[in-house]
Amino acid sequence: MSLEPLTLTDILIATVPLMLIFATLFAFTTWLERKALARIQNRIGPNKVGIPCTRIGLFGLGQPAADGIKMIFKEDIVPRGADRLFHLLAPILALIPAMLVLCFLPLNFPWIKNIQGLVKPFMLDGAVIFFFAITGLNTLAVFMAGWASRNKYSLLGGIRAVAQMVSYEIPLVLSAVIVVMMVGSLNAAEIVKEQADEYWFILSPWGFTAFVIFFIAALAETNRSPFDLPEAESEIIAGYFTEYSGFKFALFFLGEYIAMFAISGLAVTLFLGGGDGPGVTMNPEDQGLATEAFPGLSAVWFLAKIFALIAVMIWLRGTLPRLRVDQLMGFAWKFMLPLSILNILVAGFAWHAEQLDNTIITVITWVISFAVLYGAASGLNQLNRGKVRPREYKYAE
Amino acid sequence: MTLHHYLILAALLFCVGLMGAFTRRNAIVVLFSVEIMLNAANLNFIAFWRYSENPALLHGPLFTLFAIAVAAAEVAVGLALMIAVYRHFKTVDLESMDTLREE
Amino acid sequence: MNEVVAFWILSVIAVFGALVAVRKRNLIHGVFALLVFFAGLSGLFLLLLAEFIAAVQVLVYIGAVGILLLFAIMLTERVTGDDDRRVTSRGWFWGLVVTAAVFVVLLLPAIQQLPPPKAAQTIDPSVKELGHKLMNPYVVTLEVLALLLTAALIGAVTAAQGVRMPKEEDSPE
Repeated sequence: MSLEPLTLTDILIATVPLMLIFATLFAFTTWLERKALARIQNRIGPNKVGIPCTRIGLFGLGQPAADGIKMIFKEDIVPRGADRLFHLLAPILALIPAMLVLCFLPLNFPWIKNIQGLVKPFMLDGAVIFFFAITGLNTLAVFMAGWASRNKYSLLGGIRAVAQMVSYEIPLVLSAVIVVMMVGSLNAAEIVKEQADEYWFILSPWGFTAFVIFFIAALAETNRSPFDLPEAESEIIAGYFTEYSGFKFALFFLGEYIAMFAISGLAVTLFLGGGDGPGVTMNPEDQGLATEAFPGLSAVWFLAKIFALIAVMIWLRGTLPRLRVDQLMGFAWKFMLPLSILNILVAGFAWHAEQLDNTIITVITWVISFAVLYGAASGLNQLNRGKVRPREYKYAE
Repeated sequence: MTLHHYLILAALLFCVGLMGAFTRRNAIVVLFSVEIMLNAANLNFIAFWRYSENPALLHGPLFTLFAIAVAAAEVAVGLALMIAVYRHFKTVDLESMDTLREE
Repeated sequence: MNEVVAFWILSVIAVFGALVAVRKRNLIHGVFALLVFFAGLSGLFLLLLAEFIAAVQVLVYIGAVGILLLFAIMLTERVTGDDDRRVTSRGWFWGLVVTAAVFVVLLLPAIQQLPPPKAAQTIDPSVKELGHKLMNPYVVTLEVLALLLTAALIGAVTAAQGVRMPKEEDSPE
């Protein structure tokens, strides 16, 4: 293999639609989130902005556009003591890694097929490890924003975010290890193909446990509620973006949602069969490309699965209260980490049992591993129960 | 690109690291410099592997992988020691840490 | 052609990042410059078709070592990262002389004694093959590394935790 000659056109065909699609989905998701949260809280939500100069409301679908216009025309305020360069760079650094990792998702867009020979957006051999490497950069952006603002609440938010992201990255990666181990490849397309051939990994006991751990860790990694301590309004104003306004704030916002899409996309790739679904057949010899009932069906399935996960995230945000810092750390280190390590062991035994190719043994393995994982989860729960004390009010009696 | 380009670049980076280690007083910056030197060595490993007779043996990447792991352990222990030193001397200035016994 | 351009851009980024990292007065800026250097080097690894090493470089150096350095600076220096004392060491002149000498010594064989450069072989870098190699001939190294990392983890925690002196708690300050 040598470096293939890429023309600018190929690169643009591969990347520009990806950005446009996800930016549009971002706009739609903000609307969806506001509507859904409003419904959970017994409100109506945005319903006024529709087609300009008419009274047609369209359920408030024009709200994202209005928000965007407002954001762009707001004044950009930089605090006097702030580090101007880092204050500017932080939102950009927050957005770029999130956008970059979208390339590693095995989305079978129809126009990518035509240039398959040249641009191989998802054929990278180590796609999964690249994904984790690049999402890790988000942490730095958050720290940069918190530090550059020269504001103690920003700094507290930044440090909280770094501690949280570093802690939850471990269970996140360990639960992805299981899938990599079962497939024997870090290639996203091969992982999807394996699931299309065998079963979606979420359907097995270890896969389900890994998926739940992955999803919770993903919530923490993207600073979503109930893990939104870095931006907890009631404690530290708005955390690391207290001092951000206007377009820079919009960039942070966009980066956060794109990161949500990206990590949901990885969850779909690893556990939910990627672009697999009714009407789609994965071609074994064609490495991840699919035969579809109509072009783009596989990508539609992929995006639909991402949206299912996003909907769960919104639902959790409307339902669960925010955690405390000690609960957050304790949960990561005392519950998720031991469980995911045990899960790797269980998956290893299960893989060896599956190699025997005997149905009875496989069924017995599944039952035993389900029992072991369930027992471990409830045991850890019992162990940790007494440890988390109720809040002590030291200063406010 | 030839092997020589990479070797000269690695030598340059190594010397930048060496310069940092020699001319700065802050212990953390000295640690940066050591990291830069280690990374320059890694670049050499990969370059020699790429231009070797038999790249299929993967000696370069494997050695680099081990070097990265050792370097990570080194940074962790080094920074922990620095924090311990800071607790004792209230500084990480290398030139004011010139005593071996308790004062 | 692409390769040449990419090489020059990445090497300028790497050298610039390294220079800023070792000379910048503000340590936090220094760390971010160091991360730029690591990123440039990771790009060079990609250019040499060592994609797994490039990913590990980003994961370990930028993701983990960078954060560790930031925390260490916040725990030792002032939060702003400014170093208001003299930054250059006493022996800086001889340091520069030695550096220049080392550079010449490193460069001489690279220019003179190496065999004429060969063209790069076409290779098919495979992460899978790397994994097999780690398991088959190098498994002992891998286990020793695991032990080393565990020891480093425990050592770092013990060293950073320090001895908890009972005096500190009842001192009047």
